[in-house]
Amino acid sequence: MKTWLAHHRQAIVATLARMAQTPFATVFAVIAIGVALSLPAVLYVLLNNATRLAGTLPAQPEISVYMRMDATNAQIDDLRQRLKARTDLADFRFVPRDAALVELSKQAGVADISAGLTQNPLPDAWVVTPREAQPEAVARIATALQALPYIDTVKQDSQWAQRLNAILGLGQEFVTLLAGLLGAALVAVSGNTIRLQILTRRAEIEVSQLIGATHRYIRRPFLYFGVLQGLFGGLTAWVIVTLSIYLLDRRVADLSVLYHTNFQLQSLGLIPGLILLLSAMLLGGLGAYLTVTRTLFQSGAH
Amino acid sequence: MIRFDSVTKRYPGGHDALQNLSFEIAEGEMVFLAGHSGAGKSTLLKLIAAIERPTAGSVLVNNQNVGKMRRGAVPYLRRNIGLIFQDHKLLFDRSVIQNILLPLQIAGFSRHDAASRARAALDKVGLLKREKANPITLSGGEQQRLCIARAVVSRPALLLADEPTGNLDADYARDIMDMFKAFNQVGVTLVIASHDEDAIRTYAGRVLHLDHGVLQS
Repeated sequence: MKTWLAHHRQAIVATLARMAQTPFATVFAVIAIGVALSLPAVLYVLLNNATRLAGTLPAQPEISVYMRMDATNAQIDDLRQRLKARTDLADFRFVPRDAALVELSKQAGVADISAGLTQNPLPDAWVVTPREAQPEAVARIATALQALPYIDTVKQDSQWAQRLNAILGLGQEFVTLLAGLLGAALVAVSGNTIRLQILTRRAEIEVSQLIGATHRYIRRPFLYFGVLQGLFGGLTAWVIVTLSIYLLDRRVADLSVLYHTNFQLQSLGLIPGLILLLSAMLLGGLGAYLTVTRTLFQSGAH
Repeated sequence: MIRFDSVTKRYPGGHDALQNLSFEIAEGEMVFLAGHSGAGKSTLLKLIAAIERPTAGSVLVNNQNVGKMRRGAVPYLRRNIGLIFQDHKLLFDRSVIQNILLPLQIAGFSRHDAASRARAALDKVGLLKREKANPITLSGGEQQRLCIARAVVSRPALLLADEPTGNLDADYARDIMDMFKAFNQVGVTLVIASHDEDAIRTYAGRVLHLDHGVLQS
């Protein structure tokens, strides 16, 4: 146990010393890894923010049913009975025109407009939630509702929300794909720096093996090198993400003021950040492991 | 301690370095391997340290068949063998003392123990004053002594030396042979490959003569 600890401390200290010996090579490799990782990380953060923004919007398909402007209370009650009779609706609620105006004036960007109105331009309306969410079913119900009396227009509100969700889903797939590709790039970068390391340390490796070093002992400093390089690359990526989001957030704040909302970009959280660091370390280590195993032990070197 | 049973070593390409070798070396012996260059002396030493494996026959070291040894077990065998190379195999990217510390680090000695053992080994070969020097600044004889210090620092029971006096003038060579004699007197088994017949005669040890890979009696 003591030996084991001593070996590991030795390896970490030696690795840091080796990195310090070739500061330029180290810095360039770390920057390459950092930039490669920051790309999917920044996209992930932006996508998260977009999802958060979309989350405030209704994703459940809803149908808005607007009554004629001259609809009477009796007609409203009649329609309520008809809607109640339908079995393909999960829910429906009545939105009286006055309540609709109050709600509208609370919404982003229209407060000024509604304040200038002398009379309520909004009709009484129903918000209907179909039992089935499939676009075809929703469209069928919308058509059926349109045929009811006292109805002016029927609108499928949430279609765009569904489309947005689909786009966000596509974005998530894209980020995953990009992360996978750049993760592979990280393994390659790490493997390549380790290969150069091995070449410059051939003599040491040969002598160590001749005087009783195990494969694990030989491999350890290279693994540490890969893992630490990955860690520093991951930290660089984290800094890049934080800086980018900080810069973007000032623009978003300007934009948000124009829309009378208060939307703030969220940066990379602690948990995703730690996951970023951990995967950078793992991938760096993996690159080192593969290279060391290939170059040292499969070439038949003793 | 070492037993060869009908050992043949054929290198890829068909060259027979050793042919049907059988002999035994007891614990505490000091044995010279004599023969012209290319007679198979280095190959024989490599077989003992499992650097090469025999094509046929068995090589036993401490009753372990090192020819059939798992690769994972080889490092532990080597830690009990001190290897001295004709070309020294010193590392010039670190100081004299760092070179000596390497085997101790590999074996997992604590820093304190390792430092005192390394100084003791350097003292034994007369290089204590040069501990901070880079080995490249040492003379050929000093480099060979450094190589010996590295081989003995972990106090192995067996020392294998391949042409340890090969490039040295007579005075240096005598120093080194005296050193070997001293190790032998404290119980270390030595196998020394040398083409220097004069040195071999002076030390009157047991001699194994190799000629084109065949043991002469």
